[in-house]
Amino acid sequence: MLCAQQLYAQNRTVSGVVTAKEDGAPLPGVSVKVRGANIGTQTGIDGRYTLSVPSSATFLDFSFIGYSSVAMPIKGGAVNAVLTISASQLGEVVVTANNVKREKRTLGYATQSVGSKELTMGGSASPLSSLAGKVAGLNVTSTSNTPGSSTRIVLRGGTSIAGNNQPLMVIDGVPVDNSSIIGGASSLTAVDFGNRGNDVDPADIDNISILEGPAAAARYGARAANGAIMITTKSGKNGKTEITLNSNNTFSSILKLPDWQNEYGQGYMSTSNNNSVADFTTGIDDGSDNWSWGGPFTGKVAPWGQTIAGVVQSKPYSALPNNVKDFFSTGFSTENNLGISSGTDRGSFYLALNSLNSNGIMPSNKDLFQKYGVRFNGNTKFSDKFTAGINFNYSKISSSNIANGQNANGLWENLLQTPRDIPVDKMSDLNNPYNAYGFTDSKGVIRSKQYGYYNAFALNPYWVIQNFSNLDNVSHVTGSFDLNYKPVKWINVEERLGIDTYNDRRRLLVPKYSYTAADESANSALWTGAGALSNNGSYEIDQFNVSELNHDLMVTITHDFSKDFKTLLLLGNNIRQRNTNSNLTSTNTSGGLVVPGWYNLQNSNGPVNVITDAQTIKRQVGFYADLTLTYKDFLTLEGSIRNDRSSTLPKNNYSYYYPSVNGAFVFTDLLKDSGISNILSYGKLRASWAKVGSDTDPYQLFTTFSKGTINGAFGSTTFPFGNVAALQAGSTIGNNTLKPEQTTGYEFGTELNFLADRITFAFTYYVNDTKDQILSIPIPNSTGYGFNVVNAGEKRNQGIQLYASGMLIKTRDFGVKLNANFTKNNSKIVALPAGVSQIVIGGFNGMSIVAAKGHPYGEFYAVADSKDAQGRTIINKSTGLPIPTTTAQYLGTYDPKFQAGWGAEFTYSNFTLDAQFSMKHGGVLYSQTKDLSAFVGTSAETGGPRYGQPFPNSVYLDASGNSVPNTSIFYSKQDYYTDLQPGQNIVDASYVKLQSASLSYTLNKRQLKSLPFTNLTVGVFGNNLFLWTPKSNKYVDPEVNASGAGNEQGFDFAALPSVRNYGINLKVTF
Amino acid sequence: MVGLVTALGFSGCKKYLDVNQNPNNPDSATPDLLLPTAEAAVSQIVGNAFQVYGNMWAQYWTQNPGSSQYRTIDQYNLANSAFDRPWLTLYRSALVNADLVTKSQGAQLEYYKGIAYLMKAYAFQLTTDAFGDVPLTQALAGSVYSAPKYDPQKQVYDSIFVYIDKGIALINTAGATSPGTQDMIFSGNMTSWKAFANTLKLRAYLRLSKADPAKAQAGIQALYQTSPTFLTVDATIKFTSTGGNENPLYNEMTSPTLAKVQNLVASSTAVNQFNANNDPRVNKFYDLLVDKVGAVDTLTSIPQGSYAANTGKKVSPPSALVGARADNPASATAPVKLISAAESYFLQAEAVARGWTNGTGNVTTLYTQGVTASFTATGAGDPTTYLATAPAGLTALTTAVTVNDKVKAIITQKYFAMCGFQGFEAWTDWRRTGFPTFLVQSAASTIGAGKMPMRMLYPNSELTSNASYPGTQPINIPVWWAQ
Repeated sequence: MLCAQQLYAQNRTVSGVVTAKEDGAPLPGVSVKVRGANIGTQTGIDGRYTLSVPSSATFLDFSFIGYSSVAMPIKGGAVNAVLTISASQLGEVVVTANNVKREKRTLGYATQSVGSKELTMGGSASPLSSLAGKVAGLNVTSTSNTPGSSTRIVLRGGTSIAGNNQPLMVIDGVPVDNSSIIGGASSLTAVDFGNRGNDVDPADIDNISILEGPAAAARYGARAANGAIMITTKSGKNGKTEITLNSNNTFSSILKLPDWQNEYGQGYMSTSNNNSVADFTTGIDDGSDNWSWGGPFTGKVAPWGQTIAGVVQSKPYSALPNNVKDFFSTGFSTENNLGISSGTDRGSFYLALNSLNSNGIMPSNKDLFQKYGVRFNGNTKFSDKFTAGINFNYSKISSSNIANGQNANGLWENLLQTPRDIPVDKMSDLNNPYNAYGFTDSKGVIRSKQYGYYNAFALNPYWVIQNFSNLDNVSHVTGSFDLNYKPVKWINVEERLGIDTYNDRRRLLVPKYSYTAADESANSALWTGAGALSNNGSYEIDQFNVSELNHDLMVTITHDFSKDFKTLLLLGNNIRQRNTNSNLTSTNTSGGLVVPGWYNLQNSNGPVNVITDAQTIKRQVGFYADLTLTYKDFLTLEGSIRNDRSSTLPKNNYSYYYPSVNGAFVFTDLLKDSGISNILSYGKLRASWAKVGSDTDPYQLFTTFSKGTINGAFGSTTFPFGNVAALQAGSTIGNNTLKPEQTTGYEFGTELNFLADRITFAFTYYVNDTKDQILSIPIPNSTGYGFNVVNAGEKRNQGIQLYASGMLIKTRDFGVKLNANFTKNNSKIVALPAGVSQIVIGGFNGMSIVAAKGHPYGEFYAVADSKDAQGRTIINKSTGLPIPTTTAQYLGTYDPKFQAGWGAEFTYSNFTLDAQFSMKHGGVLYSQTKDLSAFVGTSAETGGPRYGQPFPNSVYLDASGNSVPNTSIFYSKQDYYTDLQPGQNIVDASYVKLQSASLSYTLNKRQLKSLPFTNLTVGVFGNNLFLWTPKSNKYVDPEVNASGAGNEQGFDFAALPSVRNYGINLKVTF
Repeated sequence: MVGLVTALGFSGCKKYLDVNQNPNNPDSATPDLLLPTAEAAVSQIVGNAFQVYGNMWAQYWTQNPGSSQYRTIDQYNLANSAFDRPWLTLYRSALVNADLVTKSQGAQLEYYKGIAYLMKAYAFQLTTDAFGDVPLTQALAGSVYSAPKYDPQKQVYDSIFVYIDKGIALINTAGATSPGTQDMIFSGNMTSWKAFANTLKLRAYLRLSKADPAKAQAGIQALYQTSPTFLTVDATIKFTSTGGNENPLYNEMTSPTLAKVQNLVASSTAVNQFNANNDPRVNKFYDLLVDKVGAVDTLTSIPQGSYAANTGKKVSPPSALVGARADNPASATAPVKLISAAESYFLQAEAVARGWTNGTGNVTTLYTQGVTASFTATGAGDPTTYLATAPAGLTALTTAVTVNDKVKAIITQKYFAMCGFQGFEAWTDWRRTGFPTFLVQSAASTIGAGKMPMRMLYPNSELTSNASYPGTQPINIPVWWAQ
């Protein structure tokens, strides 16, 4: 008491203004403290403060998140301060779960942020693909890399065996749906309609912060098990009005095509003749074949294709090395973003319009992608206590897509079946009878049911593009309303209502046709299969409506017990509702269309086929508390507990609790006065542990009935049958004793900065383990059912991640910045339900992608050529061909053994040159491209001597089963490559990519003086630019995938080739 | 917004979260809605998967050299996974739904249950005839037995007789509700169902003629003591040309995957025999080949499995009458015969020939009725000339001395009647009796000299998911009743 009186007695008043060094603007909310006393205040909206200080006080400490702290001596009554934006991580602010901004130094878990500049430098239209190679622990798979294509993102290997493995995606505090609904009947005939997380315009993004583990995202509860991607979009700045135009013009071309052989052309050997010498005496030069197993090129003019009205075309019998490459054209897209931002001390806004118009690499305008969007972010301050904000984004997308896979509409599958001498790229004229289906003959008769395309097994790719359509229209709204109330300065109440809703309407058009070959030559085998090319046609409408509503109420209570001991308590409630509605309807499956060319459900030949009509609703209510204790700013301890209640779980089991703790220790704060700080400027140790419970999909608890449908291998009997209606037992036995899945994760790590923060380094070791997975496991069909829903199975991921960056050189004119990251993740299926050895994630009959007990996640499982103990191929003594393994083999996982990214930025005067590489090492993929190009005899591996050679590195087994090296038993490549075991199409998926590069020129202040701009940057950029693959992969970009962003990865099932993009960029700010 | 939170609170939470009732699928089904599924499922199996296997292994049909879909069937070289779909259809479409009908609760459901028991008996007979020992006692109870054990075929047959008897007893109930048109086979005609039950019982007992003749004889004699009526009409669903309601094989062939490619063509095994007997039915079972340029329409067949030696050759396809002509829409309305009238007469003829009918019935009359029924079904006109002149006509029966020779004549004629319509049953009769004697090994066989397909393989789905899986039996090992 006495002491206090003394203090009061000698107080004086100090005031001043705090401004930012960068623009001189006043800084509100800056903490002003008297050194050595527990007295302080904050600056107001105008950056001003007034403080009563004891006479003994000598210094004021000014600190503000994101800025370097400053100490000013108290001289007189006015003390002003100028703060500089912190260059080092010391003040780096990270958006953590529930949009809570925290200083990175206080976090007990790994996070990484990617800023706007890094994100947009490669000019990719996909914000998710732009993360590739930039973040440790994040595995990005970009599939075809065209605008609108899918991007899969997985942090630390994901947690789930059968469910979602992608992280939660949050935009401005609002969780958004990032699922990918693949088009087409299955991944064998898929159309990639993209994933909705890519709808946000990269130019609107201010930064992305990645919360890698369950601990980081624990406050999000169930959905956080896979980590979270937090996207913050741009906002207006106080006192500044800016108009920014960002324009990209991008060209695209195919990144990688298979290596071809250029020695043999159309035709085949009539009988397998493995020991014959390498000539072609028994070959058939069938001008109507899709095989390139014919004789060696002679260059002589020879007939090819079908004979029409007695006339056959001829051409030189020689290789056309670029026939497939020249089929494609150069894609072009224009992307514009016009942003206006402004702000005063009472509020700010950011308004942006964006458009993207792309016409891809197909020789037509049937691969179009158009996106138009508008974003508005605004907030206003009603008073010091009350703030309101709104975020809104609308995207409208229309696209026309080309299908993957092996259906008639699978373009790549049709194009790959082109012998090396066929000028497929010159067959675009569908009025030419030799290229066309249905034509007018020399007598003027319309031969509508005949075709002249040269082969009987594939469709003319130009005809496919013209006649099949896969159209998509999407309207997507995301946004939120925020209210912020601060009744007293230590309490903040925030309420947010967020919505994410989209409507995705797809139309799939398949033409009706029935053609037989026009070929009138004598020995044609074409018309023995009556109606060699025929399709009843179909029209399908797939409609998906997904909406998710999130309501968050969060109370933040801060209290400083002393200047050394501070607390932050968060209390929150989240209510979430997710509705989905899918309605898939097509013309009658077997009847197809009545009138060709009329694509309407009214044109159904037979009852309209309702493929799916389903709506789901799921609700969750969560409550959480999160307490952070900070001691002297260098020791932070955070603990949280959350309770979730889910509508999808049994009522007696629907509520579950889970905790998390983490701690951070900035040990260099204790070494400040030692010499070490000259070298090690910042050092932090961190550790975290978290448990997260997850629920499941709706309607897993009870067994139901469905409409009567009896499937044959390809056809089906369906109800109603005339007037007879029917139901049948459902396929899955429900389980009303389900309990939540449990993910436990822990991690340790460190962050170290050297040489005044010029070099930074971070390391993390983590383990995530998910038990009691809710799985729908196959049970014997003899039970009368197909699946049983159970709690079983355990998946574990452990790994390390490293990140390093350094400012190598920094002078006034010249700078070199480097960055690198490395991730090694090992996944393992630790347990599966009793009696189940593996769960199939994808694949097809003969090749499965599985989660198998004791194996890494995503193993390929197929029959391959058998090998002896020394890895030599065992052949059949009579045919010379490899003997297949008797059972399917595990052939590796699609997950890489390790992945890395590295990059450099050079600045010189007004120029900036930036390049970012990424690599994955050690995964595998299944390539149907390899299989098919081998089958038709076009791939490089089918070249060279085709007969009269022993199978490379082969042995046969003698009577006692011992390997005998084979030098004398020959094999026929035609026999081998036209019947490859599925396992032989597993290819090393390792690669190194020049992920992105850019060179830009920015006008300096002096140059801008005479111009009406405040900033002008022009540049060239590229993404997915160059690809290096191991010698064994002569086929595809390992990132291509036929099934989008789901768990079925590494699956090149005749997936369309990926593209490289490159273009010019203009960025102007007024 | 704040109000929303308050309203929910902790107490309102339970109600707010009570939204897990599935709105997309009903949680119960009445027997009138399950019965059509069971009947259509049996027809799908008999008329599609087993139709293809049966007609190829009974050597009516073989693979077209110009296409490749069924080469492995002619090769007798099948993966276990080839039988995943038929097994699934049998257990999850036919049997489980029939079983649910037999267990349904409610008044006056006897006719539904009776028909369901007969469907269950019929489907289990199909299953065991194809695969041998199969799950029965622990089957169709997924929530109790997740790994059903395999019951010996002998016991499966015991259960089949029990199901038929239960069915007959229920059908005999007076005053139960008629299923009407929800019964897709006989539209609720219980007299026809009773004949069906008796004919099925006769078929099932005759199946044991080799493995357990005493039981077969006793069972058939007991049956004849009830003065049974037998089928005089085909038991079949009437398919239509509406998409999804067509003949299942035609529906399969016109699927986008098979795209109307004609995979099935005439096998010389059957065609040569029809020709040797100057049988007018041959031009009904197969289509003449309308040559593109030539003037002569011919019936062309190739030896069973000889697609490799006949590359480029045009071969006659089976006709729309049997539903197997891919590019003729008339195939859509071809019937699937679960039991045909002709078969009914030949079954009775065989029982009489074996002397198991307590003296009831005349073998020659029944034989003639069988042939006549077949001629009627194919629209081949009057069989009188054929019966009198064909070597396989009446002479074959009347000159037969031993029981075995009589059975040979009957089964051989039955074989001709079943062409294209009942391939599985014809192959099954051959497996039991060795008749007809003119089947040859497929030219494409991969299983070694002298070996023929005698069973289907257990499906891969059982191998991978059933802990009670008994191991795969090779395709040439006969099932119990054929041993």
